[in-house]
Amino acid sequence: MKITYGEKLFQIFNYVILAAAAATMLMPLVQLLAVSFSSPIAADSKQVFLLPVEFTTASWVHILQNKGLWTSFGITVYITVAGTLLSMLFSLLTAYPLSRKEFLVRKPIMLGIIITMIFNAPMIPFFLTVRELGLMNSLWSLILPGLIGTFNMIIIRTFFQGIPGELDDSARIDGCSDAGILFRIYLPLSKPVLATVSLFYAVGYWNTFQRAVLFIRDPNKWPLQMKLRAYLTSPEELAAVNLLLGDYAFNTTTLKAATILFATVPILLVYPYLQKYFVKGAMLGSLKE
Amino acid sequence: MRKHWMLYLMILPGIVYYLVFKYVPLMGSLIAFQNYQIFKGMLGSAWVGLDNFKFIFMYQDFYNVLRNTATIALFQLLFGFPAPIILALLFNEVRLMFAKRLMQSMFYLPHFLSWVVVGGIVFELLSNKGVVNMVRGWWGYEPILFMQEQAYFRTIVVLSGIWKEVGWGTIIYLAAITGINPNLYEAAVMDGANRWKQTLYITLPTLFPTILVLFLLNIGNFLELGFDQIYNLLTPMTYSVGDIIETYVYRAGVLQGQYSVTTAIGLFQSVIGFTLLWIFNRLARKTEQGLW
Repeated sequence: MKITYGEKLFQIFNYVILAAAAATMLMPLVQLLAVSFSSPIAADSKQVFLLPVEFTTASWVHILQNKGLWTSFGITVYITVAGTLLSMLFSLLTAYPLSRKEFLVRKPIMLGIIITMIFNAPMIPFFLTVRELGLMNSLWSLILPGLIGTFNMIIIRTFFQGIPGELDDSARIDGCSDAGILFRIYLPLSKPVLATVSLFYAVGYWNTFQRAVLFIRDPNKWPLQMKLRAYLTSPEELAAVNLLLGDYAFNTTTLKAATILFATVPILLVYPYLQKYFVKGAMLGSLKE
Repeated sequence: MRKHWMLYLMILPGIVYYLVFKYVPLMGSLIAFQNYQIFKGMLGSAWVGLDNFKFIFMYQDFYNVLRNTATIALFQLLFGFPAPIILALLFNEVRLMFAKRLMQSMFYLPHFLSWVVVGGIVFELLSNKGVVNMVRGWWGYEPILFMQEQAYFRTIVVLSGIWKEVGWGTIIYLAAITGINPNLYEAAVMDGANRWKQTLYITLPTLFPTILVLFLLNIGNFLELGFDQIYNLLTPMTYSVGDIIETYVYRAGVLQGQYSVTTAIGLFQSVIGFTLLWIFNRLARKTEQGLW
């Protein structure tokens, strides 16, 4: 196949554009990292681009000593772990019957679920419902209202539907019940999709913000994102601790940078490991029709 | 049915979840037709017919919030919707597999960050001491306080939205492109089509059904911009251009307790979304398959 001059030019152009755009995806994070390791004076006088200037770990030391941040971190870890486990259990138990032809009411139930995707309840009745349940200021309000992500549940269901029926026929002959088929046959076969959906749930719980804004009024129970938001809007609180420590100049620019990264690091750590899975999962989700 | 009783038992928790957290709030929308009093509850509060709707339509704030929401939604549709399609087409022209993979994983990353983090990044980059003003400084320009200028707010919303989700959005399109029969391209090459012509006459038309479905899903949530994003980018200085239905409902409803009126606004938003979906679905069915 011969390549014309114009096509060659386009190829070069394409690589340059894409590489530049891809770089802008990482650059803000790299820049924050550089700022967080720079001296306050350098950060405030616009000297820091992609490398730290006058390297110091003071900002990190400072925020890592912040008790409030760690409390919120703990809450977020808790709701992420508990929430993901519960969400997976509920999603599996819902997806499995909906994937079975023997389950005679699967069509009306599926329709009932799809309707909730088209008609979102307005914020206020949702808020009042959760409040009526007595979940205000309870960490359950961050988990229960979003227990099943319909999209995630459908991803699992689609995957289950692709598992050949002969498998459970033979399991049934061996005396396996429906629960046995789900947990002994289907689950081991679905590892990639389980990993993907768990990741989606985990990221969702890690990033929980709106539910916390609505339901958690007690700052001692704020998950990490709420705490981060509070520190970003009033950085004086973030800096306040070091006035007591007295060993570090009052500076919000570097502290903010470090705090933003603090809330992001866990995702950055798991990202490379889970990357091979999530694209497949996202595609499965898209083919739901 | 008796043989598979376990299946019915299994789905129970799921059904309870959907009833309690989806259908009960949906029913709760009826308070839009009430003068809802928190202590009387839904059963004890008086029904007022369409009074709440009449009220919001006479209310200046409502028009302002609606205009902001619709404007931002339109810009997002105009620029945000085509962005992943274009990016997917550009990705499709990348022949070096390792470069493609690497760039893709870079593009997917922001999708996993929360809007609090992305909002924080945006504020830091655009602040007086931020990197954007630093670069402007190199060229001798005065610093601009972007986040506090009304003129820039909508641009920032649209651009930050694209930054966060454009890569993730390409996944569906790339999957559709992978499914295209290579014979089509070979035939096109025989007919003398160059890459551009192939894109125009094979890739794009094959993508069309996917684009259509995603467009319809998008239009159904037209006025739902996402609370997290706007809430985390908004400052009191930008309320007049950036306050949208969701942030307004949060402030007036949740914080100030105007439950019935704000539910009416929320219901109005859902009705607009569904009407748009219905209209565009009819249009789509004339040419191709719609959503239903």
